[in-house]
Amino acid sequence: MQITGMKWGAKLLKYVDFPAAEILGAEAKPEEIQALIDKYGGVLVKPVFKGGIGKKGKAGLVGKATDVRTALKEKERLYFAEHRHGNAVAKSEGVTYESFIKAEYEVYFSLTDSTLYRAPTMTITHHGGVDIEELPADKIISVPFDPLTGLKGFVISNALSQLGAPNEIISPLVQNLTKLWDLFHNYGMTVLELNPIRIARDANGRLTPVACDFKCSFDGDDPNMDRLGLPDDLDNTDLSEYESAVNQLRTYQGQSDVFVINPTGSVTAMTFGGGANALVTELLGDVATISSDFGGNPPYAKMKEISRITYQYWLPQTNVLFIIGGKANNTDIYETFRAMGDALREHFTEHGPTPLYVVVGRGGPNLIRGLGYLRDIMDALGLPYAMFGFDSAMSEVINHAMAADKWMKAGGRKLIAQKLGIR
Amino acid sequence: MGLNDGNFMHARGEEAFPYYVGIHSLADMATKQDRVCVLNISGGESSTVTPVSHVYSGGNIVCGTMPGRGGTVMKTSIGEIPVYNSIMEALKAGHKFNTAVVYVPPAGVKDAVIEAVRINPELRKVIILTEKVRVRDARIIRQYCQWRGVDVFGANCLGVADAHNHVRLGGALGGSSPEESLVPGSIGLFSNSGNFTTTIATYLLTAGWGTTVSLSSGKDVYIHFAAPEFTHAMHNDSRTKAAVMYIEPGGYYERDLEFKKPVVACIVGRWKAKLTRACGHAGAIAGSGDGAAGKEKWFQDKFGVTSCFTPEAPICSAKGAVVTNISHIPLALTAVMAMNGIKPDFAPRGDLSPKCWFQSSAGLALPAELAVPVVQAMAPYDEQILGLGKQVGTVFPRQSMKDCSGASRMDAQTQVSQVHGVSVLDASTRTVEENLVLSIVREYPDANGKAMANVALNAFVNQSGSVLLAAADAARETGNSPNVVLSSAVALVGPKEVESARDAAQAFIDLFGLSGLQDPAAVGFNFAAQIKQVEASAKLQEILVSEKGGKRGRAMLTALEQRGAKSVFIDFLKALTDRQGNVRENVVLAAITCHLAWVPFMHRRLSVNTLLALPWHFRIISTLVGATVPSDGQDKKSFRGVDNADLMNSWSFTETAFSALLGWRPSEEELFSFSVLVGLLITNGPGTISAQGAKGAVAADGPEVPGRVQVNKCYIGFLTHAGYAHGGNGFEAMAFLMERFQNSGLKDPGDPGHGLDLEAMAVQYAKEYKTYKLKAKTAGEMDLMKIPCVNHPIFKGKDVNFDPREVFVDELFKQRGSYNVFQDFYHQLVHALFKAKVSANVYCVNVDAVIAVLLLKMLWKPYSTGAVSGESLERAAFTTFLFGRMLGSAAEIDDHTNRGRNMDTRTAASLCQYVG
Repeated sequence: MQITGMKWGAKLLKYVDFPAAEILGAEAKPEEIQALIDKYGGVLVKPVFKGGIGKKGKAGLVGKATDVRTALKEKERLYFAEHRHGNAVAKSEGVTYESFIKAEYEVYFSLTDSTLYRAPTMTITHHGGVDIEELPADKIISVPFDPLTGLKGFVISNALSQLGAPNEIISPLVQNLTKLWDLFHNYGMTVLELNPIRIARDANGRLTPVACDFKCSFDGDDPNMDRLGLPDDLDNTDLSEYESAVNQLRTYQGQSDVFVINPTGSVTAMTFGGGANALVTELLGDVATISSDFGGNPPYAKMKEISRITYQYWLPQTNVLFIIGGKANNTDIYETFRAMGDALREHFTEHGPTPLYVVVGRGGPNLIRGLGYLRDIMDALGLPYAMFGFDSAMSEVINHAMAADKWMKAGGRKLIAQKLGIR
Repeated sequence: MGLNDGNFMHARGEEAFPYYVGIHSLADMATKQDRVCVLNISGGESSTVTPVSHVYSGGNIVCGTMPGRGGTVMKTSIGEIPVYNSIMEALKAGHKFNTAVVYVPPAGVKDAVIEAVRINPELRKVIILTEKVRVRDARIIRQYCQWRGVDVFGANCLGVADAHNHVRLGGALGGSSPEESLVPGSIGLFSNSGNFTTTIATYLLTAGWGTTVSLSSGKDVYIHFAAPEFTHAMHNDSRTKAAVMYIEPGGYYERDLEFKKPVVACIVGRWKAKLTRACGHAGAIAGSGDGAAGKEKWFQDKFGVTSCFTPEAPICSAKGAVVTNISHIPLALTAVMAMNGIKPDFAPRGDLSPKCWFQSSAGLALPAELAVPVVQAMAPYDEQILGLGKQVGTVFPRQSMKDCSGASRMDAQTQVSQVHGVSVLDASTRTVEENLVLSIVREYPDANGKAMANVALNAFVNQSGSVLLAAADAARETGNSPNVVLSSAVALVGPKEVESARDAAQAFIDLFGLSGLQDPAAVGFNFAAQIKQVEASAKLQEILVSEKGGKRGRAMLTALEQRGAKSVFIDFLKALTDRQGNVRENVVLAAITCHLAWVPFMHRRLSVNTLLALPWHFRIISTLVGATVPSDGQDKKSFRGVDNADLMNSWSFTETAFSALLGWRPSEEELFSFSVLVGLLITNGPGTISAQGAKGAVAADGPEVPGRVQVNKCYIGFLTHAGYAHGGNGFEAMAFLMERFQNSGLKDPGDPGHGLDLEAMAVQYAKEYKTYKLKAKTAGEMDLMKIPCVNHPIFKGKDVNFDPREVFVDELFKQRGSYNVFQDFYHQLVHALFKAKVSANVYCVNVDAVIAVLLLKMLWKPYSTGAVSGESLERAAFTTFLFGRMLGSAAEIDDHTNRGRNMDTRTAASLCQYVG
């Protein structure tokens, strides 16, 4: 799950007492907005996106207002704003009013796990507030640190000194940034980014960093995130109904990763293994309905439930049901095939027959029993099929599935439908 | 000194790295000297993988740990591996090991690794197989092992194997037959995908390349032993002439690699650039620049090539090639190696052309590109495929079936249970005989099958003069509840009673199993060969044909004729008896049950064991219904006044059961109501007490030798696990309704013009209940009397609540134009309770009310005229429950016998509590 923006960011930062811009939700009354303007001299009106949105493409999606009328006008403009970057489109659902922070400095700060250092790594620059990829290498620094002791003040002060940051900001940053390790590590985050942190003077003239934008990603396998009490639907915008249904079956034994590739696709691939997932999805391209990985020896009940959901969502439009994986090391082919076969038979019983061509390519323990079981079901259901040994190139089996899809589109589907007595 | 040079929190290892790496050469990765302790050794995955690894590696696993299983052993073909509760125990027992293999569930991985590293100073390698290890734990594992000087492999990997050393450490590289894929050669294999490690090794064989070391690295965010470490070790291994690397998007592990030996890199996953979250491997999600396209470029630059290698455009250099399809690896490797003047390790083994092992056109004219020929599979799969043709029925894998079922389940959300995928709501629209067949055979019979089932069940229902009826009567007279009465009878349907039916079922399987007979209803099958077989075998003749009279057997054949039933098995029996004599009743029974089970048996959905036990189930079900009627209700010729032959010829078993219970032949409406009642009660999933009783009885007999499971005893298990609280509760609602309607003058509960003011009656009761509740509370009574059958722990909390099961039945009867005053009253009552502020919202009427209102509607007239006593009503309600649940128990008994292990329902002592 990813979170962007201060609506939830401010709440999360509160867990570790990191100062954040004061914010109001879209439901704020004019007098509340006025009070915020009076206190800070103005407000920023920002759309609220679910999930992860980068800085790129955000131009024009922030409103500034120093009076309530403009603030409400900006709210109207941005409430359902669209953010486009490449293929990704996100739609806003609401806005926030965030206090102006009059800053003398803007700092970029992030925590992530670096695959180069293989350690948690802090990235920091006092030339923040911009897209950091555009900064020259000497103006930004990444420093790995020891997770056993966490992010220590000296790591931050050394980094800022090396960057030549003004002395007066080092101490306030050292005092506050170390708190973010607690939020990052203890609540299961994999990325935490504050950009910008504005450094403003408080009433006593002391410099204080204030987070003005927020982005984080959580590790989907870490239940520590649940301790934050975030609403379940925070990041559901990019999950289809089908993906949500399958996601609920996520347990540690057996994968259940699915991703909708093309909602109007015609080949539904039940794929086993991360490698096969990468290869099959790549070669099938847009004819695939979904990309899936069901490897890791899922037990019968889980596999059957996954199959039931998958068939329910995709079989009506599917020409080719494609069961594909390499030579399994540990996944029991009989158990997984029995589950997929039984679910198919039950699907036909419940929803009536649907024209399908079935292609299988697989190897592994109990292979022949599994293939035999599936064969008997296909024979009983009256479906054509081809099952390939694991000594066939996987790409050739994929080609066969694609050829079958073409034939189905060119009249094969109709022939099977007639044979199954479907009107 | 730069800021990034300053991490000295690690042990000293290979000089080439700014962090700890202990492995110098691939030759050190998996050696004959490595000794292994497997953590969580008895877990699901490990228990299949570990014995294979141990045997393949010549016995390198010295011990395993599993909390609570200390003192046990893991058996392998070359000896036992001792299991300890903890690593400390294992070390104290004198074991020495340098490698820990971690199968612990994700939440425990970090602690398990720290324990292993901290307690055992000799530990040098940790291999983590577990998937979905949290990133925050991976951080700690990495740093801790860096500090202590331990190489970590994984997580989410399959470990490492050395084909030369014949050693595999960790997971299941090469699967259950490692020798098939791990053939010694000159190629080091590195793969982000566990499955592709084995698959690529198999592909390499087709070009004559074997492997030195195969490493499945895993593809989490943290890859502890990654491409840089592998590359370094590959350079230092004299056996390894080149490497194949399978790489997925995400991470910068490969960006700065410098190769001194040829490499073929396979980079897959350009499409993943579209992903916004991981699908497949957790770490295979790219940020900026580390997508598949970026990685292709990294490697192309290293190799000095400008594009990827394909068979059509074989672009490569002496340094290497980049491919995007694993099938192209062998060709690319051979091309690169040829440029270096290196020939393959051995002659190619097999090829990668598509090999279709099973194919069917389903009777359609397929185009040439799809009409692929079926080829003979490679050994040993060819033999196994031949074996498939000789196998009849299925064999279910065995597992602990405690609290598990392959037959029933309850949906916790809807509270609607299913048997073999059919919800009890749908089952309630079917007859008793149909639901019995479903419970064991897993599908409903057609009209022909139904007719045959009715003959078989009715044939054995009359128990007049038998010892079992005497036993039931004696139990009845001494005041026992219906379940105890029926247990006494069922105890006497022992194995010997059905031995001849079992033998006959086996004979049908032997004679027809491989004959090509798919559907025995399709008469006309030529069984001349089978007749000859019987004529040639004295044993088969003894089983199938009788010299004695076989009166009931003949009557059954006549009944089947009367009903127009068609079956190859029955025709076969008739043909046999025409030639050789008479047929026994148990043989006809077996022919009928084999007929009912044959199609799913041929489709390998049922086991041989199920077919053999099926006649026993039928006999028991007949007995349960038959023994419900005391001796004064049946004699040699008739049952409840109905001639035995009439029962067989024209009664449905549902009618027989109704009549056994209530004494008369039901009207169409009564029959429907009764079927609904029984259908709804079939099951509530494997956790219900009655199912637990049946399953416990199976477990105690030892299902691993299914022939020893005493089916009648298992029904007794179910019966003893029913009782006044579990089965008798339908009566509470009946008693409640009887009290409310006692002096109402109600004549016909099915007449909507009954003339009663139900609303007023409901309001009146709501007031009474409110007063009672108030009084009781004032008096400090803790156990308030509850109104039966309203409210439900799941279906509550809304303004107006409904139990979907009750709604279903209500609708079902409304559609038939059938009215029930009691159900109407219940609906009024829940609203009245809300209006009287007894409830905070409108409670649901729950499904238990259905049982009461349906049964009371049937019995109201005889009850109000005094023909039936209150006690009889209670017995009827209880027995109806038993009739429903006996069908669900049949399913559990058969399922547990097929899948369970001996004594698998026991609870480990560690999970039991002493509360004295």
